[in-house]
Amino acid sequence: MSRQAPLVIDNGTGYTKMGFAGNSEPSFVFPTVIATHQSASAGSSNTSGGSGARASPPIAGKPSHLASKRGIEDLDFFIGDEAVANSKTYSLHYPIRHGQIENWDHMERFWEQCIFKYLRAEPEDHYVLLTEPPLNPPENRENTAEIMFESFNVQGLYIAVQAVLALAASWTSSKVNERTLTGVVIDSGDGVTHTIPVAEGYVIGSSIKHIPIAGRDITYFVQQLLRDRGESAQIPPEDQLRVAEKIKEDYTYVCQDIVKEFKKYDADPYRYFARFAGEHSVTGRKYDLDVGYERFLAPEIFFNPEIYSSDFLTPLPEVVDTVIQTSPIDVRRGLYKNIVLSGGSTMFKDFGKRLQRDVKAIVDGRIAGSEERSGSHMKSSGVEVNVISHKRQRYAVWYGGSLMASTPEFYNVSHSRVDYEEYGPSLVRRFSVFGSAV
Amino acid sequence: MILLESHSVIINDVLTDRFEKASRADIQFVDYDNVRFHLSTPESKTKLLLSMGIQCWPDLVKYGAREHLQKEYEGYLLPQEQTEPEYDVSLVVDLEQLPEGGEARSALISKLAHLKSTAMSSPFLSAFAEESSLQANYRDAGGAQQKDIAEQSETKGELKIVRYREEEAIYIQASNDRVTVVFSTVFKEETDKVFGRVFLQEFVDARKLNALQNAPQVRYSNREPPLEIRHLPGLHNGEDWGYVTFVLSPRHFANPSQAQQTINRIQLFRDYLHYHIKCSKAYMHSRMRYRVAEFLKILNRAKPEVAAEKKTASGRTFRTR
Amino acid sequence: MPAYHSVFNNDTSVRQVGNIGLLPINTKIRGPAPLAADPSQPDIIEESLDLFRANCLFRNFEIKGPADRLMIYLILFISECLTKLAPTPGKPSPGYQEALKLLQTQAVDTFALPGDAGFPLNSLYHPPANRIDADALRSYLTQTRSELAIRLVDRLYPYEQVLGPDGQPTGQVGGRANKPSKWWMSFQKRRFMGRSLSA
Repeated sequence: MSRQAPLVIDNGTGYTKMGFAGNSEPSFVFPTVIATHQSASAGSSNTSGGSGARASPPIAGKPSHLASKRGIEDLDFFIGDEAVANSKTYSLHYPIRHGQIENWDHMERFWEQCIFKYLRAEPEDHYVLLTEPPLNPPENRENTAEIMFESFNVQGLYIAVQAVLALAASWTSSKVNERTLTGVVIDSGDGVTHTIPVAEGYVIGSSIKHIPIAGRDITYFVQQLLRDRGESAQIPPEDQLRVAEKIKEDYTYVCQDIVKEFKKYDADPYRYFARFAGEHSVTGRKYDLDVGYERFLAPEIFFNPEIYSSDFLTPLPEVVDTVIQTSPIDVRRGLYKNIVLSGGSTMFKDFGKRLQRDVKAIVDGRIAGSEERSGSHMKSSGVEVNVISHKRQRYAVWYGGSLMASTPEFYNVSHSRVDYEEYGPSLVRRFSVFGSAV
Repeated sequence: MILLESHSVIINDVLTDRFEKASRADIQFVDYDNVRFHLSTPESKTKLLLSMGIQCWPDLVKYGAREHLQKEYEGYLLPQEQTEPEYDVSLVVDLEQLPEGGEARSALISKLAHLKSTAMSSPFLSAFAEESSLQANYRDAGGAQQKDIAEQSETKGELKIVRYREEEAIYIQASNDRVTVVFSTVFKEETDKVFGRVFLQEFVDARKLNALQNAPQVRYSNREPPLEIRHLPGLHNGEDWGYVTFVLSPRHFANPSQAQQTINRIQLFRDYLHYHIKCSKAYMHSRMRYRVAEFLKILNRAKPEVAAEKKTASGRTFRTR
Repeated sequence: MPAYHSVFNNDTSVRQVGNIGLLPINTKIRGPAPLAADPSQPDIIEESLDLFRANCLFRNFEIKGPADRLMIYLILFISECLTKLAPTPGKPSPGYQEALKLLQTQAVDTFALPGDAGFPLNSLYHPPANRIDADALRSYLTQTRSELAIRLVDRLYPYEQVLGPDGQPTGQVGGRANKPSKWWMSFQKRRFMGRSLSA
């Protein structure tokens, strides 16, 4: 009997993507949230965020669910969209923060339902590929392996770094002619954007930079612009964020230059201004909104952060350049040549083009400056800057995992249960990188 | 979630989506017990091909699975020759010829999502049918002398074997007043064995509760196969093996909907058992973590007090404690 | 890309008072401003109007030349005009004619010069050297402000397109809008560099 397809599960701070290796899209995408009957503060000694439906005082000492468990209350929980739907009677918890698992109890139960309810797979029959953020402490890997091998009895486990999987996913782009695991991954989700340089499949940890601008900030900015213009008077307050999000997803794009864009809008209003038809979620009343400058101003905050807030002022192209300049000098050309986008907030139209143009401008400026200082004696051969966009960007990490797990090499590099039982959890502190030869 | 669901969530979701708007698909996924699915649009966006490959298909066919599927999925099932290669059964859904009305559509989606359980239910259904015929015979013969019965009517039906997993099988046997279902199950891990034994013993004992008097009787034997199947060749004896026997009485399959419910539950018994074993292990882990955290709190209090002077990045100094 | 600078920054022939450049403008209003060399090219007023919407999103601005200082001043003046035209509770936004009158009055009204107490950007501007320069600056600024007011109102109240029965523009042009364009008014709250002309 041929082996069953490996399970590929990508747990992110905002969303969990899961499915089977070999598919081009995850079968399930839902928020990484679990709804239990515990109140928000009690439960485990780790912090579990999330709002409780009831504001009960923090209970020091025994959480009620452990002490007096008679029945099967620990199975009374929901995950994902069902959790959000039941948020009035249950309290929501977010077990993953900043990419790392903070609450292991919740995560274990989350995986329980993922595997048995949604994927409907008997874990004893499958290999599993999980993902981890860069700079994940090895202890977290051990904990994960303990849960996977001892609770779920999986056949084999491989924990991959998300950035490396994003690089693997970029091989599907038409721009790429050689498969390489060297490049800069710009991973932009809902909460934060990471710029991660990877050389030969290994993350250069000291050069990673985080940018506090991501999807959620763009949504807030759209909301702000709508409010300034008075459009938001028509939208009921509880829908405002959702409407802003929809406008962000459907109407926005990245322009090449703001002033030119304003002129274009003045010259040809009917082509650029759009109309958004909304519906009140409760009453069903329909309303129309005009959508204008936020179409190009919203994603502009990546390139000009100060138009949104004064907390963070460095534009994305500059951060990318800094990241590469702080990396070892022998990999820099490779990094410039392969800047890979991943995550939902990089899906704006022309995002890649604008980023490439801006980074190239910085690089060319620096080269010109140094040529001038050398009295035009030394001429550089130029640095190639390439930003790779591809169709699988939104779930690039999951897709990369699906690609890697469908190769025969995968079974060799994963740690099997037999090995785990022989060597113990410390086995999983190291996972080999594979795939450059594929 | 206490009971495992009997339908496939992926089929449900994808079909609901595609019924609304047709688009390409090529998804491979699995279900419990070595079942593979493939949902694709090979020819055109509007024709969905759903194929299923079951490991125990030869066994199921012996007990009338093909005919049963033909009856349930009339119009969608493809004949044997047109089944997708490497799979055992294929259905085609034409998105342009869907039934009208939301209810009819969701009924269709639900039926398609139950493809695996429908296929697996054919041995059970034939056993139920056997039981009723045996019962009828028995009653007919009841008027005659008791001695004649032994030679006249059979009191036991055919022993059906469904090898749904590599080392485990379901044995179904109908007799004149009950249907007996035996599960052979193996536990590969030490901890699982212990949990399994405790669980299965509970199954037997739980029936003593008043509320559960109507439930089927359960027997559990640890090493040796129960009497009904002892004569079969190739049975395993050993510490790792357990045999669970369910005795279903006619009221459990009196009418078709009741029968279907019983079948849906019982065919997932082994998965249900292992699911709960894993959940209890998870529960144990959360208790262990809690205890460790408590101990650490106590240990932390035992640290000597050091009036350390610390500096922050901006140069302010402060003392701890 | 940071905030936008004026293209006239490198023009050295411009007369400077204090450190503001007195750039040529296209205008029919009388005053000391030099006449623009080429009427079809955009002058500093046109540039300020174009860059207003983009620049007022920025809080930090680096001054690269005297033309930049004039542009900053004009942008702040545009902001002030918008505030004047904003609807207040009990008083809706004025129509075209009324707005024109309001802003023209505003333009010639007394205002603070660099070096005076009420001027917001004293740290970046030099006061005029002597009385004559101060007067010249004042009349130049008055003239520029008036011209800017006219052009601003022109932009705020565009001619409305006549819509056909299907809702699409027929190409005909109707009268002026009777409310200031909300696309401009939405920028009223954004303060360029966090400053405004009226304290």
